[in-house]
Amino acid sequence: MNVAVNKTPAELAYDGMLLPHPRLEDWKWTNLRTLIDRPYPPRIAVTALPRDVERLLKRDPLAMIAHARIVFVNGLFDKAASALPAGGAVKVTQQLAPLDNTDEPVLEMNRAFAGEGVHIEITSNIDAPVEIVHVATDAEARTIATRHRITIADGASATVLEIHLGEGDYLTNSVIDVALGAGAKLDRVKLEIESRDAIHLAHARITLGRDAVLRDFTLTSGARVNRQNATVNFAGEKADAKIAGSYLLSGKQHADTRLVIDHQVPKCTSREIFKCVMDEKARGIFQGKVIVQRDAQKTDGKQSSHGLLLSETAEFDAKPELEIYADDVVCGHGATSGDIDHNHLFYLRSRGIPEPEAKSMLIAAFVGEAFDTISHDDVREQLTRFAETWLVDHKETVR
Amino acid sequence: MLEVKDLYVKLADEDRTILNGLTLKVKAGEVHAIMGPNGSGKSTLSYVLAGREGYEVTGGEARFKGEDLLDMAPDQRAAKGLFLAFQYPIEIPGVATMQFLKVALNSQRKARGEKELTTPEFMRIVKERAARLGISQDMLKRAVNVGFSGGEKKRAEILQMAVLEPSLCILDETDSGLDIDALRVVADGVNALRSPERAMVVITHYQRLLDYIVPDFVHVLSQGRIVKSGGKELALELEAKGYAEFTREAA
Repeated sequence: MNVAVNKTPAELAYDGMLLPHPRLEDWKWTNLRTLIDRPYPPRIAVTALPRDVERLLKRDPLAMIAHARIVFVNGLFDKAASALPAGGAVKVTQQLAPLDNTDEPVLEMNRAFAGEGVHIEITSNIDAPVEIVHVATDAEARTIATRHRITIADGASATVLEIHLGEGDYLTNSVIDVALGAGAKLDRVKLEIESRDAIHLAHARITLGRDAVLRDFTLTSGARVNRQNATVNFAGEKADAKIAGSYLLSGKQHADTRLVIDHQVPKCTSREIFKCVMDEKARGIFQGKVIVQRDAQKTDGKQSSHGLLLSETAEFDAKPELEIYADDVVCGHGATSGDIDHNHLFYLRSRGIPEPEAKSMLIAAFVGEAFDTISHDDVREQLTRFAETWLVDHKETVR
Repeated sequence: MLEVKDLYVKLADEDRTILNGLTLKVKAGEVHAIMGPNGSGKSTLSYVLAGREGYEVTGGEARFKGEDLLDMAPDQRAAKGLFLAFQYPIEIPGVATMQFLKVALNSQRKARGEKELTTPEFMRIVKERAARLGISQDMLKRAVNVGFSGGEKKRAEILQMAVLEPSLCILDETDSGLDIDALRVVADGVNALRSPERAMVVITHYQRLLDYIVPDFVHVLSQGRIVKSGGKELALELEAKGYAEFTREAA
């Protein structure tokens, strides 16, 4: 790792691991050296009671939709709580994928600390979603690291749900490698509803083959600190990726997404749409970079990020970047930030809708464009309901 | 029903008084027309009664069904039976018309301690009333007022009124932007809602609308107060002579 500086208490707290310095451009808004303010030692064995696991699993709003479920409790595969597919088009193997040396801090931490993971292989078309649920039980503060791999075979298609939830104080480090074969289709939906005391660090590396289609959506709402990196590489022509996300943040929550879309080959399409809602003193950050390599002619890449600030003290930072080396491309980006439209709010209230409900409707309407990325109707409906009730729910929690 | 007494209103962030001692009494079953030139305070009156932010009441009072109207939140006023048909209905992208109407109706019912309607019960009411106003299913499927023409927006306002069944309807320049056919459809919709239990305040610049929605009383608003009141013939008089006489008098 190329961060040679003196060790801070936070680094020492993270088992001697060097945490990224905020002078690194990608990390300027998320200073882990101050945000990780207490020790999160790795490799701590924690005994989870089955009834705690069962209770926590009930918080998963997508539970009833999934047809196969892979459960990780405190970083370890929990066979008893899982419902594995009975063979066929879905193959699940317990396996920790290899990880090369990188200078990416989240990956480096994962390489050092991850204990278990699965490899999910999809070999044909499956309609019912496959779900990976990560549960953290209330125990001493610690690092929980997992690493998974998803492979979608040529021409196969699937919906994969990834849930992170828990209670207490812990640090999640989640790495996932995704490979889509030629003509493969993946709907990936990630839901981060970790404990309010938790730190969530994640890195997803996605590669698309020729004619592959990716629909990727992440809802970020739980952890006190969230940093999610994703790299999307177009390795085959005419692939199509839509990466969307939404933040629903309150209190002093901090969420930072760093997305790199790398067009290496011609005729691929990428769309990024992020709709972020911040209340109270929450801070949302979106850093999106689109690279169009010299050979990637006829690339069509568009990116947009929008912040909705529900209070004077909330903040949204956006850093769109385009790096274009080809000359025959269509690329664009846009970023906006604003508060609730008072004319909209008055109109709804003048029809008898009380303020919290009216605001909730406007929040759901705002994030709707990002949620539309989810192809699976039941999944989209469940998460939309989550967005619609979020404001009232978190206001009640505070009280 | 509505009693406005000596009401003074200024803009909240500007030192400009818009309403200057306005007094108006509306009883159940009555239709009042308020006419006046641009800038006389017509829209301010409708917004203040509906509870929009940005205005400051500096004197007087407004009571609705015996209660202090100005003390209530906009949604409380609506639940109590007040409805403002907007001059410029607001487009709200992403909020589906049907969901909006259902949440509105059930919020009002809940606030009044009535049973909330089920989706089939609600659908039946909307479909029946939409058909009467010539509102297509396609319009109902869209987001609130998004992509509606001027005439469609006004019809959608009247549909909301028909579904929410308020006891006091304030129509703010409902005729603006309507051609004669659309005006007739909207006026028919309004007339169908006239009843001995319901009052209406029709705010308009032109007499034209009052050919279709015939008022019991006509008031002339000028520089923030009512300067003349009379029967429906007053509207015709205004149409013939214009507002010049009143603006001069008030000045």
